[in-house]
Amino acid sequence: MNALALIAPLLERLAGELPATAPQGHNIVGAQIAIGSLFSIHILIAGLVSGAGELGPAIEFLGFMRQRRGYDRLAHGLGRFITYYFSFSSTIAILLITVLLVGFWGHFWTTIVTIAWWPLFIEAWTFVLQVSLAYIWYYTWDPLRGFKGLHMAIGGLLAIASFLQVYMIDVVASYMLTPTTPQNPIRLVLNATSYPLTVHRTVGNLAYIGFVIGAFCAIRFVRAKTVQDKAFYDWAGSFGLLWGISMTLLQPIVGYSYAKEIQLHAYGSWYKMMLGTLSPVFLWQITLLGLMFLTATIYFARRLRTNGARGAGLLKVMAVGLVLTTLLAAQPYHLGFTYAAVASAGLDRPFWEGGLINPLGSMIPWKVLALMSYTLIAIAAVVWYLRGLPGVVWGAARRGEQRLLMLMAVLTILMMVTMGFIRENSRAPFLISGEMTIQGQQNVQPTVSPSPSGGG
Amino acid sequence: MGRLDAVYDWFDERTAVRSLVRKGLYEAVPKRGAWFYTLGSATLVLILLQLVTGIFLTLVYVPSVTEGWASLNYLKQHDAFGSIVRGIHLWSAYILLFVIGLHMVRTFFSGSYKRPRELNWVTGVGLFLLVLVMAITGAFLPWDQAAYWTAVVVTNVPAYTPFIGSFIRALWRGGDFVGPITLSRTFGIHVWLIPAILFPLILAHLALLRKHGEFGSYVNYRGAYRSREGVDVPPVPPQRPIEPPYPAVPTDELWAAPLETEDFFPFQTFKDGLVSVVLVIVVFLLAVAIGAPLEPIADPSTTSYTPVPEWFFLPLDELLLLVPQQLIPLALIVPAGGVLLLLALPFIDRGPERNPFERPAVMVPGGFAVLFVIILTLLGSGRLFNL
Repeated sequence: MNALALIAPLLERLAGELPATAPQGHNIVGAQIAIGSLFSIHILIAGLVSGAGELGPAIEFLGFMRQRRGYDRLAHGLGRFITYYFSFSSTIAILLITVLLVGFWGHFWTTIVTIAWWPLFIEAWTFVLQVSLAYIWYYTWDPLRGFKGLHMAIGGLLAIASFLQVYMIDVVASYMLTPTTPQNPIRLVLNATSYPLTVHRTVGNLAYIGFVIGAFCAIRFVRAKTVQDKAFYDWAGSFGLLWGISMTLLQPIVGYSYAKEIQLHAYGSWYKMMLGTLSPVFLWQITLLGLMFLTATIYFARRLRTNGARGAGLLKVMAVGLVLTTLLAAQPYHLGFTYAAVASAGLDRPFWEGGLINPLGSMIPWKVLALMSYTLIAIAAVVWYLRGLPGVVWGAARRGEQRLLMLMAVLTILMMVTMGFIRENSRAPFLISGEMTIQGQQNVQPTVSPSPSGGG
Repeated sequence: MGRLDAVYDWFDERTAVRSLVRKGLYEAVPKRGAWFYTLGSATLVLILLQLVTGIFLTLVYVPSVTEGWASLNYLKQHDAFGSIVRGIHLWSAYILLFVIGLHMVRTFFSGSYKRPRELNWVTGVGLFLLVLVMAITGAFLPWDQAAYWTAVVVTNVPAYTPFIGSFIRALWRGGDFVGPITLSRTFGIHVWLIPAILFPLILAHLALLRKHGEFGSYVNYRGAYRSREGVDVPPVPPQRPIEPPYPAVPTDELWAAPLETEDFFPFQTFKDGLVSVVLVIVVFLLAVAIGAPLEPIADPSTTSYTPVPEWFFLPLDELLLLVPQQLIPLALIVPAGGVLLLLALPFIDRGPERNPFERPAVMVPGGFAVLFVIILTLLGSGRLFNL
């Protein structure tokens, strides 16, 4: 009773100070930070779950075809991961939608649901499908051991559901950047950046889960006590990295194509990314990509050298090539914060003529050449590592290699957060390009309905 | 003896047709996975369909910038049968590209290009490239808007070849610009030059196939090689004595004889026939239901027309669109290098392993190549819908 007497006035005071409705319009930056940071966490976990839903069944299939137990163990582990983390990811998603988006940006949410009703409707059902299939896939692992074909078919359906889920939300996200006539659902689905974004994210999620497998296995390898466990985690870490980097080397061409569509259909956003306020972040992103390829190549070289397998020498040469390429890619074009600032100061000329322009940092041809070089060297590194793998003894890796696997996951997370930041901020101040601003849609105030009885 | 038998005997005495038929039909082929082997015969059937419908079309088509479009428009407006024939020609070409691509992928996956079948692969790659050239040159001939702009883009591609590029472009175009000479030269390439190389190459491909036999897939040889776990698995004896061409060349004894075989006739011929008939029916239905489109006559002065590339040209077109102008020669090294690697594949991957899951050093780069083509197609496909 005493405690209640103590708390009651506090609650009363708190009730008096809290706003009656969601704090709309008071602190836009605060709302943006809250939504942006929670979305980043959501995407980091949801990307893993989607990637695992696609990669897990593929690994199970590989294991079946190669008749190796390691694949089955790895795929089963991914199944366990999905069952653990699906609910966590969903909780954040629901919190985002029901509390933050509806509360802070209710006007936007109502509009986007009205326009993208079909994709969001399908999206909702893919969640049901994905979670059902994921649980069936995981919990029937042993009961269906004698019916591997059936089990793999369930996994295949899980992969399709996971892809559809990403695809549908990408339709909505791409529409926000490059809106089309909203009356036609086909136009909505085929908006200008829908395909590039879907390919970019699907490949990205597959790469991401590969790198996280690598880092997870690196930690487990260091802690492993038995020879069998060490051999498994050494192999699985290498597999995860190999998979991740193989997917990542598709990204320069996909990402470039995505940027090209943005240039054609949302020029303001493209300008902001390439020459405007986001250009330093974009420069960091292309540098980060080089660091990822470099880290993977160093891992390949070291892992082969540990067992004296062939190919380590050439991989070191490739690593040097990647260092040079990364240095080229990291060159800034304008030596001021934005190109507009440089131009308005009358310094739009090469730095050796007293200006603030570095021609070596231009997109065409240097950054495009760097992207081509990234891809070609990374393909060569993957092929060379694969050629050397028969000479590798699993379980013999050193700590240095494991640290590189962990570093790779950190770089990937940085890359994903950077990309999300660029994409979302490139639209600013719009939530839907050219149609709805963050400020403009916060003017909705709920009206209190009169009581049916007509009295208080 | 019936009268027909007597006629057959008469022919056999003079031409040895009986032994030819026997040699052609009664051959051991690998039993497992036989449905996948139907892709080769389906390719042949579709090429023959191209030949037959092409002959019919040459009876009507006039290779001229003034008459070409009009002759096809006449078919479209006034000749229902001719229109269907043109539809069959177009759709069988589309499906042929798809089927020949699948056939190559199957051969690549199964490692069927390995010794002693290297030349089967090389001739097969040659056939694939020739079919692509046939498809591209065929797309010029209607001389409608789509054809004209395809001609402009495609004849410009060789211009990026170092040193001789401009010469090749001028040679093909018959000058600096696409025009009447371009059309007549492309027609000549389409109906004479390419077929003159294509059909002898098909014969060489088939002769090599008969010499070395269908390799099939590694599953036909499972157990006949050392297992990965280090346990020697004794080879399972074949069901019946293997006739030539198995074992083929005794250089690859572990892989020479499939574990289970069946006769080419009637078992394989039935499957081949069934798949080919289904494909021909599909082609016919598409030709009737959709037909071959014909846009307005080519107008080089138009500014309102948005060219959309043929679907099979989409990956290359997307690559050309993505890469900045000054880097196009560099970017074209990728497809050119890809073709060279494709030709050199059997001489690079020479190990005895055929299982695709045990050949990652070849399968992964191959997978990249396929993925790049798929991704470029996907990225460019938005333009096909033109929404």
